[in-house]
Amino acid sequence: MDITILGQQLLGYIPLGDIVLYLAPLNLFMFASTLAFTTIIAISKTETQVEADFGTLKDKEVKVDQKEFKIRRFLAIVCGLATAGAMITGDLFNFILFVCLIGIVNIGIVAAVKQVDVLDAAFQYGLVAMIAVLPLFGGAAMILASAGTISLLEIVNIPTTFMMLFGSLLLFIGVAGETGVAPFYATKAEMFRTPGSPFLLIIHLSSLLVIVRVIEILLIINKPF
Amino acid sequence: MSASLIIPTLVSPVVVSLFVPAIFTGLIVGLIGLMAIAYQKNDLSALILTDIVGIGMLILVAAVGTDLAEALILPGLVVELAEILAISEILMSREMKKKGKSAELIPLPLSMDMEVMTTAPTFLAIILIAYGAFLSGFTGGAVAGGGILVYVLSKRMRGVPADTWEGIAGVSGIAWCLWLVGFLLFFVFPQYWLLALFLAAFGIFIKVAFKAGLIGVIGREEFSKK
Repeated sequence: MDITILGQQLLGYIPLGDIVLYLAPLNLFMFASTLAFTTIIAISKTETQVEADFGTLKDKEVKVDQKEFKIRRFLAIVCGLATAGAMITGDLFNFILFVCLIGIVNIGIVAAVKQVDVLDAAFQYGLVAMIAVLPLFGGAAMILASAGTISLLEIVNIPTTFMMLFGSLLLFIGVAGETGVAPFYATKAEMFRTPGSPFLLIIHLSSLLVIVRVIEILLIINKPF
Repeated sequence: MSASLIIPTLVSPVVVSLFVPAIFTGLIVGLIGLMAIAYQKNDLSALILTDIVGIGMLILVAAVGTDLAEALILPGLVVELAEILAISEILMSREMKKKGKSAELIPLPLSMDMEVMTTAPTFLAIILIAYGAFLSGFTGGAVAGGGILVYVLSKRMRGVPADTWEGIAGVSGIAWCLWLVGFLLFFVFPQYWLLALFLAAFGIFIKVAFKAGLIGVIGREEFSKK
């Protein structure tokens, strides 16, 4: 079993001391698309929502003020860079730290809004993200204990044991909680009910790409084929 | 089994046999925390109880017991702290939005006026800074920074001039450059290792000691608000 799964070709390595990045078409594509989307977000302006009242003509504009806009744009760029890093890293623990950074930044993007129910949803999402740290780090620590390394390039050559299987199960639960996909999506859907659309979209994009990447990592660790 | 390949023979079998109980301890601690969160009704209690789950995570990472695991506990702890800070900030801003009031970022008791705060801080600060300079390095920087912090927080009642903070922040930046230069010297000219060692040690000493400058910047922003 090679590090390249799903019929990919390995294009090369970037060895930076302990940290070795590997370049494969899937990772490179996701990396480049994340960077492109982050650039689009960095140069775009926010939307303005209109809250319509049924039966009357009192439409209300909900705008984002300048200060909040700047904070949100910064956090969205950080989120995009963390997602790009998670796509291309060849180290399990770096991947986990990037995922945690995405979780924290997702909370931060909606932290400054004025709607109380959105803040409530962000609080619940934060609790789930914080609980998910346990299976996330615990799974990675179990994989480290049973494989002896956290470099994906080395784990490929080690036969899978039961502890590695259990650890990767925990890892998957942790990533699901941290990015807020099913079964934890209920609070995350509430978070989008605030103005400032292009910045909120990075929350979606990061969770989608991280799920694809974690499936690749789990295939590398467990070698089912 | 491949386990014997990885674990060196000089590790005692007692330590190796502790791994599985430690894993179970971590998972049980996490489960206890989750059950407590499920039972309670208060948001603040939920936030505090979530920290118990984080401690379970630390047990799981520490169970590995190698020096790599030691290096991984630190990011785990930082992530844990960052998340609890972010969530508590959200909780605070939600409550402020509900009640319509606002609170300071660092609520310092400005009206507190005690004699010990005007007489003792200079003496305490001098002793702490001298001891920190004797220690040097990161620990000394922390001790000396504590001394500066005592001085500043006590004198804050009288008002510290704003220019002082800018100066301290500037010195901190220069000291950081010293530290970097010292580090670079280690790699480029290993024969001057003593010079590099002293540059790095005292650079980081001054740098860590003047971390208090950051608090001053925040304090000045709070002053200018009023």
